[in-house]
Amino acid sequence: MVANIKDKAVIVGVANTEFSKNSGVSELSLAAQAVKGAIDDAGLKPSDIDGFATFTMDSNDEIEVARAVGCGDMTFWGRSHYGGGAATGSLHQAVMAVATGMAECVAVYRALNGRSGHRFSDGVSGDIMTADAIHWGWYMPYGLLTPASWVAMFTQRWMHNTGVTRDALFEVAHSTRQYALNNPNAFFYQRNFDRAEYDAARMIADPLQLFDCCQESDGGSCVIVTTPERARDLRQPGVSVRGIAQAAAADQEQMTSFYREEFAAIPEMEIAAKNCFEMSGLTVDDIDAAVIYDAFSPIVLWQLEAWGFCGFGESGDFVLDGALRPDGRLPTNTHGGQLSEAYIHGVNGIVEATRLVRGQSRNQPEKDVNHALVTSGVGIPTGGALLGKLD
Amino acid sequence: MTDYKTLTCAEVSVGDTLEAVDIDITTGLVVCGALATRDFEPVHHSKAEAQATGLPDVFMNILTSQGLMTRYATDWSGPEAFVNSIDLKLGAPNLPGMVMTMTGEVTAVDASTGRVDITVLGENNIWGMHMQGTVQLTLPQEA
Amino acid sequence: MNADEQKVFEEKIYAFVGQEVYPPTPAPDDVNLPMIRQWAEVIGETNPAYLDPAWAASSKRGKTIAPPAMMYVWGQEGFQVTRGRAPNAQSNLVAMFNDYGFTGVLGTNVKQEYFKEVSPGDNITIQMVIDNISERKTTSRGTGYFFETLSTFTDQNGEVVGTQRFKVLKFIPQELPAAAAADDNALEVPTRIASPRGHDNGWWWEACDEGKVLIQRCKDCQTLRHPPRPMCGQCQSMAWDSIESTLEGEVLSYTALRHPKIPGYPKDPICAVIQLAEGTNIVSNIVDCEYDDVFIGMKLKGKVEQVDDKTMLPQFYPA
Repeated sequence: MVANIKDKAVIVGVANTEFSKNSGVSELSLAAQAVKGAIDDAGLKPSDIDGFATFTMDSNDEIEVARAVGCGDMTFWGRSHYGGGAATGSLHQAVMAVATGMAECVAVYRALNGRSGHRFSDGVSGDIMTADAIHWGWYMPYGLLTPASWVAMFTQRWMHNTGVTRDALFEVAHSTRQYALNNPNAFFYQRNFDRAEYDAARMIADPLQLFDCCQESDGGSCVIVTTPERARDLRQPGVSVRGIAQAAAADQEQMTSFYREEFAAIPEMEIAAKNCFEMSGLTVDDIDAAVIYDAFSPIVLWQLEAWGFCGFGESGDFVLDGALRPDGRLPTNTHGGQLSEAYIHGVNGIVEATRLVRGQSRNQPEKDVNHALVTSGVGIPTGGALLGKLD
Repeated sequence: MTDYKTLTCAEVSVGDTLEAVDIDITTGLVVCGALATRDFEPVHHSKAEAQATGLPDVFMNILTSQGLMTRYATDWSGPEAFVNSIDLKLGAPNLPGMVMTMTGEVTAVDASTGRVDITVLGENNIWGMHMQGTVQLTLPQEA
Repeated sequence: MNADEQKVFEEKIYAFVGQEVYPPTPAPDDVNLPMIRQWAEVIGETNPAYLDPAWAASSKRGKTIAPPAMMYVWGQEGFQVTRGRAPNAQSNLVAMFNDYGFTGVLGTNVKQEYFKEVSPGDNITIQMVIDNISERKTTSRGTGYFFETLSTFTDQNGEVVGTQRFKVLKFIPQELPAAAAADDNALEVPTRIASPRGHDNGWWWEACDEGKVLIQRCKDCQTLRHPPRPMCGQCQSMAWDSIESTLEGEVLSYTALRHPKIPGYPKDPICAVIQLAEGTNIVSNIVDCEYDDVFIGMKLKGKVEQVDDKTMLPQFYPA
């Protein structure tokens, strides 16, 4: 049974900071800027914010962000675990808090100096003594240390099982870059690449080459969630959360679910999709545009299959038909994605999905976007959300 | 009498890789390399002076590194190649006890001039990149 | 340093641009075979163009040449530098940087271009100038300035045989050199990053140290499980023992880690998910095999080996 909190919470404010490779400021500064930006976008005051939701991985304490921004009393804070799996997970926390009345205005934020500070591409190491360390210990001694390497292992097998080729990976990376060309806040604004450059780019972990991998970025993103009643009085068109879900599937490991009967699959995302559709009453045909978590190009393909836009193994043909392009079936990652806008752990994606429903994307498709999908990271416990116009 | 083959421009393509070469960095190589290049800066022969700069031991001077890199390129090309340039970014020092692995790949070939760019990397096993850059050679058009 | 002070300082340093470090100075010795031979011995150079006059005479050049990388060697100041160098524009510039706290020094780039080969008997004259100084930059080492010297090398006929550009960063060190001063310890050669060992996995790694790969087995329902966990997911029993794997396996998937390079690991290690004959999967390395020869379904045979000074690991070979 899926809890029904359809349309009980509404995104009313969104903001990104400037994205860069060297912010020159603290992560707290980025968080404060993002939260303040989203408050302004909504037409709220800092004192209206009474709850926060973010990632366990975020370094910014809620109370520090609240003090920095000048928010007042706080009645809710909640964090979501598993790296980029927390993108819609943190939104999920906020939606539950608002739907249950635990808080009225919740700021969902993520801010990181992902390039100038700790870099994910440095990989895991024995230096981290967290509960995860024993898990990573099964991989570190062999050199399987980086997110790219873990995803590469899935990709190799998935391509083997489906026959999908690099053409499809290129199409994901390239269609996403075309959107970034138009987005001044994208790191790759006005900087294109062609197939020859894509093919010639440095190999990171076979078969993933440089342009198949997201960036590492400094920046912050925030969305503000409140009640439908309050949303109607605010500055921006409200974007209602129709459906939202978190999911981990049996035998899940963090990035290394190599022990399943068939590991080149993302059953957790299929659960999230099923539950989002059930909560919202929507079907895949209702989704007009999407922001699909793109830490690496192939994971977009798997998610298209998991959400039912096409069948298993058919995502290559689906994207090669131009589905992700502006006039395609499913304009996707219209901000430039994490491949080409910035890697803010998927929260910049929630910002973009909200803008798509508002009609405010830099690359707004010509068709009406009544419903947009936004998803969390892949290979980890994950989730997704379906956003629609506030009635 | 020439047992030495030199690659011609036609025999070389972009993407060709040079076989990796490991160089054992010894105190002898560091100190004697400094002396053979008439580099008498104390940090290259005196451990105490090197330690005063914050490093654990004497470290290789740049002229030795340049020598090793050009040797790596011309060992591949053969002796008739003309060396046009060696353009290096400098990284972590090479110290005794390390092993530096040199790798290279042809990244440009200009058939009209015979000029060939080799992107080279010298990486030591402890601190990583020691030097990386480009050696440009002119290869003969015909053998 | 406030903005005004910075302006005054920058006026002082930029005044060095164009100044001569060395006026044209002929090398004390002509290009000569003994120095070439000594250099070649150390560098490991065997190029007959430098070392074999008979071969060189028959080569396209028709004569012996000096290694181009020796271009700067001919004019080097000698042993007296161990007692300090005579002041010149470069040392004065460096002293000025040091006075203002930019005590850190780092050679960042060196480019030599060669226009003409030189041979024993030629004499090389070096001239060096301070060619340019950057604006103030923030770098990972600290805030500072790049300065670049340009050396021009001419032969006895006044013909330019080559140039060298050498770029140096002078910066304010982020920590005092004293704090970074090294002790006499030998450099530690990095090894593979080891797994932490806790209650649930330590026994597995201890067996690995002894040369065995074990697979945890539920004592009640006999289900095998890897990686080890404290409870059987099938019957919830906490009683377990283990069996030793034969290390016969098959590739389920694989990749090679090309970037970044990680100290202590072989270059481009091949990692694979391997299904063992016993039925459980394990991640390990495939060795003694080119990446291009690996395929899904490939049969492997593993053995536990010492892969570095500190690490025992299962490694899999083509069967």
